[in-house]
Amino acid sequence: MSMLLQEAAVGPLPEVSRRPLRTVLRHHKSGLIGLGIILFFIVIALAAPVLMPYSPTVQSCAVFAPPSAKHWFGCDDGGIDLLSEIMLGGRISLLIGFAATLVSMVIGGGVGILSGYFGRWVDIVLMRITDYLLVIPPLAFALVVADVWGPSVVHVIIVIGILQWAPTARIIRAQVMTVKERVYVKRVRAMGASDTRIIARHVLPQVAPLLVANTVLTVAVAIYLETTLAFLGLEDPSSVTWGTILQHAFDRAAVSAGAWWTIVPDGIAISLLIMGCFLLGRAIEDALNPRLRVGHLSTRRWKLRPLVGLGPDAI
Amino acid sequence: MRSADYVIKRLAFALFTIFMAITINFFLFRVIPGSAVTDLARVPNATPQLRHALTVEFGLNDSKLHQYFTYLWQLVHGNMGISYVNQQPVFPQLLNDLKNTIPMVTIGTVAAIIIGVFFGIVSAWRRDSAVDHVSTSLAIAFYSFPPQFLGLVLLILFAGTLPSSGMEYALAGVFGSVGFWSRLQDIGIHMVLPATTLCLTLYGEFTLIMRSSMLETLGEDYVLTARAKGLRNGKIVVRHALRNALLPIVTLVAMSLGWIMGGAIIIEFIFTWPGIGWAMWEAVSQRDYPMLQGGFLILAIAVVGCNFIADLAYFKLDPRVSE
Amino acid sequence: MSLLEVRDLHVWFELPNGTELHAVQGVSFDLDHGERLGLVGESGCGKTTTILALMGLFPPSVSVAGEVIVNGENILGKGESLIRDYRWKELAMVFQGAMNALNPLMTVGRQIVEPMELHGIASGAAARKRAGELLEMVGIAASGADRYPHEFSGGMRQRASIAMGLACQPKILLADEPTTALDVMVQAQILELLVGLSNELGLALILVTHDLPVVAQVCERAAVMYAGKIIENGTTEDLYHRPRHPYTRLLFATTPDLYDDDDVISIPGVPPRLDRQIVGCPFQPRCDSAFERCSSEQPALKSLDVGHSAACHLNDVPVSVTAKPESSPRNGQALDAVDGSDDGS
Repeated sequence: MSMLLQEAAVGPLPEVSRRPLRTVLRHHKSGLIGLGIILFFIVIALAAPVLMPYSPTVQSCAVFAPPSAKHWFGCDDGGIDLLSEIMLGGRISLLIGFAATLVSMVIGGGVGILSGYFGRWVDIVLMRITDYLLVIPPLAFALVVADVWGPSVVHVIIVIGILQWAPTARIIRAQVMTVKERVYVKRVRAMGASDTRIIARHVLPQVAPLLVANTVLTVAVAIYLETTLAFLGLEDPSSVTWGTILQHAFDRAAVSAGAWWTIVPDGIAISLLIMGCFLLGRAIEDALNPRLRVGHLSTRRWKLRPLVGLGPDAI
Repeated sequence: MRSADYVIKRLAFALFTIFMAITINFFLFRVIPGSAVTDLARVPNATPQLRHALTVEFGLNDSKLHQYFTYLWQLVHGNMGISYVNQQPVFPQLLNDLKNTIPMVTIGTVAAIIIGVFFGIVSAWRRDSAVDHVSTSLAIAFYSFPPQFLGLVLLILFAGTLPSSGMEYALAGVFGSVGFWSRLQDIGIHMVLPATTLCLTLYGEFTLIMRSSMLETLGEDYVLTARAKGLRNGKIVVRHALRNALLPIVTLVAMSLGWIMGGAIIIEFIFTWPGIGWAMWEAVSQRDYPMLQGGFLILAIAVVGCNFIADLAYFKLDPRVSE
Repeated sequence: MSLLEVRDLHVWFELPNGTELHAVQGVSFDLDHGERLGLVGESGCGKTTTILALMGLFPPSVSVAGEVIVNGENILGKGESLIRDYRWKELAMVFQGAMNALNPLMTVGRQIVEPMELHGIASGAAARKRAGELLEMVGIAASGADRYPHEFSGGMRQRASIAMGLACQPKILLADEPTTALDVMVQAQILELLVGLSNELGLALILVTHDLPVVAQVCERAAVMYAGKIIENGTTEDLYHRPRHPYTRLLFATTPDLYDDDDVISIPGVPPRLDRQIVGCPFQPRCDSAFERCSSEQPALKSLDVGHSAACHLNDVPVSVTAKPESSPRNGQALDAVDGSDDGS
């Protein structure tokens, strides 16, 4: 009921255009902030070789030297400049994050579309696997797989990709099932279009925006998993990533040395990137599915206006 | 009838998922090329006797299918194999570890739920106020902090004030604390940092979900009805909105149990907490596959079990379920 | 003294972009004991906002002007905390599409008892007994009190909300589109129930709907709203046979007729946006009888007969000037006062 009340109080809902990203950035400030953060880290990662003030492998200052004008983020247990390490570490963390997300999007999007479009036994089989992956403790699973396969960047990407596709598949499946029932899709099918064609031309474009939102959110999870696996020592120990920087700090007793700078800037970098992905992903979701409702709780008092100057109707 | 149906359905689902976990576990460790048990050469310090014993126990010379049934048969009898490291049966050790994990995880999670639900309600109630903005921003920040970062920061902040490790001694009563209460106090103090870390990493998401769920509910017509009846805001929230808004939280907690256990592994690792996560990490670093396999299985079963309980809770809370 | 007097009610919503939406623009009407009044108009014309305002049910960031006088007191002047005592006790409400008006997690009985306990009408076993009686009064077995809303059909849910509305023996029942989303048979039953209860209990009723013929069946009087204003007000008799505003006439004409093969007529165009200043008559762009004056000057609501008023410039000019001899007999009748029933409206 009271759609009027709803509409009246929030104004006309922002039109969701065919370009959700643009809508998002126009209407959701937090989405813009999120995108800004992500772009910032991508630029830093790409330009790391140029931007790095020191070598990330050669000692350039004292062991556990605190932050200073020369070394903004201080130095680690090997006397290596942390700012340089973090800049470089972002590269692999981002690479793993995006690559793993790509893997999970391909699997999850594929499974979701197949399951939702074909239904029946395809759906039953695929959804039972999805159910399993949804309840299984992801980190424990990653621990087992990464350990059995041995530490390497590619393995970590595959493990995270495999772990992350289940929620995507679920969301996409639900969406496909509604798209499938739309009149124009049914009409195209009645006209004899092949399944591949219907999926490529009609289902995929409808599902794409949701897939984008989900991708951004998955990047956050992938980066979180990467840093965690690295922290637990399940990544190639010689590679420099945000996860291994924390791991080194913890391993080499940075905590008891009071060297907070080995932990805080790196941790904040991880958190900021996750936050950026979360903000952007949530903004896209909000734009796709506007749930702006007016709360029905009372405000303490409404404004009473005097009846002066209200035109010819005023009595 | 209706309820029995529902319970049986959910139970069947839980059992099926556990069966899947067991099967995938088997494949992971035995079938995939280069997997752990097949490749016995990777077992560190393996004596010929141990290798022989393992080959016999796991039936490695038999067919894969035969191995699979042997594995199932052993599991049914509570045999998860022998630890490579201490040559003791894995299952009792892991059960003991689980006993240490459960209180810490439960306290941390329950605290996170209470704090999250509270701030979610306050935020939704005072939508767009300063309180809402601060609470939501904090929630997003804590949601973004990985547990290892938060744990390390707490370690630094409370170094010297609160114990950061040594729980196993507290449990064993090594500190000479006599009597039940002083030992409980000892354990409690050791639990502060790990449980707080877990709580803080979880509360953000609960706050955000509770806020949006509450906002959604406050826009429902029955809330307007309640207001039209003359109810005060407080009563509307407690009596009409809260229970409805809590339903998604039950689902969320159930869905994130896997992640909660993941956070617990890292936290146990950081604070040397003698729980199942610590055992799994040790198993990884010592290549103790039976231990790792057993730990994974127990965690999986625990999560599936909790999911089952959450399903029952949802059933109890929402009269519409299974219609 | 009337039971309820609404004097020049205005409601503005503040929009997020800083502008204002003038949802209700000076609405006035009276309601007597036991009287049934229809409030008619398209969606977005301010009728729901108007009746919500009668109970002080405003969304956040709203401002209000005018008076709502119940029992000789202006309840709008009292603020949320004082108006609570009036709610449900003096005026109760039956909401649109009962589906969501009932809390899905609470038994129907609990929800009927709730306002009784709140307003000190009855409590405990007495309240539960009364809830059962109320349910029986609306045609549901008393045992239905222990059931949840989802166990009821749409029609039963609407009956239950009517029972809930009667819990505190209000003098006025506000019904907002009580029959939408129900099938035709059930609609008729619900309307019959409302009329019966109103006669039996001496209950005054305000029926809000977009369906003018429904109002004609149920109410003695009706007010037609357009763009936040009442544009015609009179007995349903008068409105039906002698409409004095083109909009009223067209509203009757848009109702499909079982015995008429003509296509269903709809009024072309959409109501004006209320967040902008309107120059001239708000209905002028859609009106089939508009002339120059309509685009520049806004017509005021003028009394034409006893208990019949309308806001249309056509009423100021001699018949011959505006009566348009057009093909359809539905056109140009605002002044003709022709009996509308013969053209199948």
